[in-house]
Amino acid sequence: MIEHKETLVAPWQEWARRSIKGRRLLEAGTYALTEGAIAAGCRVFAGYPITPATDIAEYMSKRLPQVGGYYMQCEDELAGMHACAGASLGGLKAMTATSGPGYTLMHDAYGWSITNEIPLVVVDAMRVGPISGITGAPGQGEFYIARYASHGGNFETIVLSPSSVQEAFWLTIDAFNLAERFRTPVTILTDQVISDMWEDLFIPDDYDGLDFVIPRKHNLMMPFYPVGSADLDVPPNVIGHGTGVCVSAYTHTEEGYDIEEMEAQWAQTFRLVNKIRHHRAELTRYETLGLDDADVIAVAYGANARTVKTGVLQARRRGVRAGFVRLITLWPFLDELFERDARYVVCELNYDGQLVREVMRAAPDKRKVHFMGKSAELHTVAEVVAGLDGVARSGKIPELPYIWTEVR
Amino acid sequence: MTPTAEGRTEILISGFGGQGVIRMGQILGLCAIKQGHRVTMLKSHGTETRGGYVRAQLVISPRYVDSPVVENADVFVAFSAPAYRKFFDFCRGKILYDPEMVEEIRSDAPERHVAVAATQMSKERFNNVLFANMIMLGALTRVAALDYEAMRTAMVEVIPRFHEQNLGALEVGYQLPVLSTV
Amino acid sequence: MNKLAKKYLRPSQIPTKACHGCGIGMIENWLLQAIDELGLKQEDVIFGTGIGCVGRQTFATWGGDNFGATHGRALAIATGLKLAQPDKKYLIVVGDGDAASIGTSHLIHAARRNLGVTVICEDNMGYESTGGQFSPTTPAGYVTNSSPYGMVEPPFDPCDVVKAAGATFVAETTATQWHQTVKIVKKALANDGFSFIHVRFPCNENFGAYALGTRDTLKNLEWIYEHTQGRKTDGSESDFVWETGIKHDASNSRPEFSRIMRDMNARVQADLAQKAAKKAAT
Repeated sequence: MIEHKETLVAPWQEWARRSIKGRRLLEAGTYALTEGAIAAGCRVFAGYPITPATDIAEYMSKRLPQVGGYYMQCEDELAGMHACAGASLGGLKAMTATSGPGYTLMHDAYGWSITNEIPLVVVDAMRVGPISGITGAPGQGEFYIARYASHGGNFETIVLSPSSVQEAFWLTIDAFNLAERFRTPVTILTDQVISDMWEDLFIPDDYDGLDFVIPRKHNLMMPFYPVGSADLDVPPNVIGHGTGVCVSAYTHTEEGYDIEEMEAQWAQTFRLVNKIRHHRAELTRYETLGLDDADVIAVAYGANARTVKTGVLQARRRGVRAGFVRLITLWPFLDELFERDARYVVCELNYDGQLVREVMRAAPDKRKVHFMGKSAELHTVAEVVAGLDGVARSGKIPELPYIWTEVR
Repeated sequence: MTPTAEGRTEILISGFGGQGVIRMGQILGLCAIKQGHRVTMLKSHGTETRGGYVRAQLVISPRYVDSPVVENADVFVAFSAPAYRKFFDFCRGKILYDPEMVEEIRSDAPERHVAVAATQMSKERFNNVLFANMIMLGALTRVAALDYEAMRTAMVEVIPRFHEQNLGALEVGYQLPVLSTV
Repeated sequence: MNKLAKKYLRPSQIPTKACHGCGIGMIENWLLQAIDELGLKQEDVIFGTGIGCVGRQTFATWGGDNFGATHGRALAIATGLKLAQPDKKYLIVVGDGDAASIGTSHLIHAARRNLGVTVICEDNMGYESTGGQFSPTTPAGYVTNSSPYGMVEPPFDPCDVVKAAGATFVAETTATQWHQTVKIVKKALANDGFSFIHVRFPCNENFGAYALGTRDTLKNLEWIYEHTQGRKTDGSESDFVWETGIKHDASNSRPEFSRIMRDMNARVQADLAQKAAKKAAT
């Protein structure tokens, strides 16, 4: 096998190296997402059960009362995310979890939470669609929806995706931290495989001792909305402390008053877009392998990044100069990972092609970006090897059953 | 058992719903974790109403498991005929099957097949089919050369009740004479 | 600005952007009177609202903490907020669109949970901020901009809905009944549970103009008054009657939602502590 370099850039690299006391379990991704949230200080879960995120709701209903938190089973996902926003405004860290059909109902609350800079975490365990699709099969169809989680434009979003049960635990803590620092909802875009699969999982014994968890702070004075500023680490607003804060659906002034003026719209947009764009370095999380010498680079995220990585390693063993990019931060999109003038093979769990379009935009030559779409089942290692081999040899993905290669 | 080049062991267990397929995988996985291994377990359900299946795919490795998908099982436990037919090709190693459920086996690899009459023994010994999965787990422990004591410990941790019968069933499977020649 | 407005509202945000003769400002004054008579301070009350005439006109007028929800979701937000801030009084001031149409599921479930908030449903019998379309509370037969041949759907009574769902205080009043309204609001705020007050008020610009044929505030108020009496000013019977007053008063008869949640937590944590103590003893 050709020697290769592996890189993982994520804050939990350092967290995991610390000698934290804990226990090793065999647990599901849903369990890890729940415990990660509790460890991060989440004290409210409001949502509606849906496969494959239901277990998060069930675990939360058991765990939250034990730590003085609240589990709310809402009338629908609209209510779920709005209740989370309300709880967060009241000073409690909050999370909701759903799958595609519920996720699309949350855009109303996304817009409100984004505009009002309310920290919270949303988990979307993606399944194959559209709509109900196949409830027990994985999909990756919400790549763009999670970016454009509300109508109207004029905002950026933060979206992260784990690819193991252990990573789901750390990444959930990270998502809560980012939500606090950036004052915005952070989406964890996971999938049916990661949420349902069981894996060895290290859980710290003492959550209170985790000093990398960013606690909730309260903004007790003006400006409530630093419009026109890209400042990071502005404490979140709080309702119920008599600050006179105003929170609404309208374009707002720094007091939170509704206003219908171009200047105000400009200043608000500057804030919502640039607080994220100007701090991209704080949001960079990814894994790469063999990028130094790669002629053909496989790109994936979430569960199927795992079979894809195995495929890359096997291809290298066969002498193909293959590389691997696993995106953990999906948005803002990490353009810088696609600067190498190589061929890219984008493996994702949909036939229409979503991630591949962003890679085409970011790569030096979009004609060298190839699509390997699959649906309802992970790519097999054999498929990945065949794809990489074909592209390395002839610049084409060979014809394979169940694989789509057309994007246009 | 011979691990693959990466030190990966792949185990595939499949049968009908209610046979305790996932429970078996859970105990097996926890046992491996307690011995310091990394473990993944995918569980899936066939959606067909008739002839459906429950499947547990386990990968055990000294290192982080990249692909959790079992494409070349070292051991395949077949608890039903549809599961046997559906997943035969995903196995390159031994196949443990329950002859009461899988009546017809392929003729091309008789040396890879081991009949474990778990359902029948469970009925005879415990007057109940419920313990067939633990008998099978005992047999699997032997065939996969896993630590028997660690398996007993993991089982007690995972299963809340009837420890005596379940441990007894594990023992029955582990001590099956047929396995000494495998 | 009157004394109460000075005490409780934000000078920069009033007068509101309401149309001439709109009832929203008047009703808000009555709410202030009730708050004042109960001795509540700005910081005791969280003011939540929605979208449409009522939302736009009342948002940020309150001197304390305010939220203006997405359309229909004020109660969903309030449910989460109440868990975090259980000791506050909540005035959720919304219109017929928010309460009786786009957000009805939240209304029903807030009532079922006995969420500790007071909902003031200020009902101008249509969607007036979008130009006067009918709503689920527009009386049958009346002409609006989306029922040019008369409203053919039957309306419903939101009081019946919330009562059936479990609200512990339900009342109906109108913009023609000042003293009754103040009394009702005071009772509603004294209920540690879900209180619902339906207040009809005139819209001169749309409902008045199209359904009643007049933009005259007094004539529109008179039309409302006639329907509270069941009799027109000329002595003839009106086409229907609104029964106003307290419709259901089971104030403080069952535990409030956030109280239930906190009690459960206390129970769960006591059990855990007991188990831990038992474990330590053995």
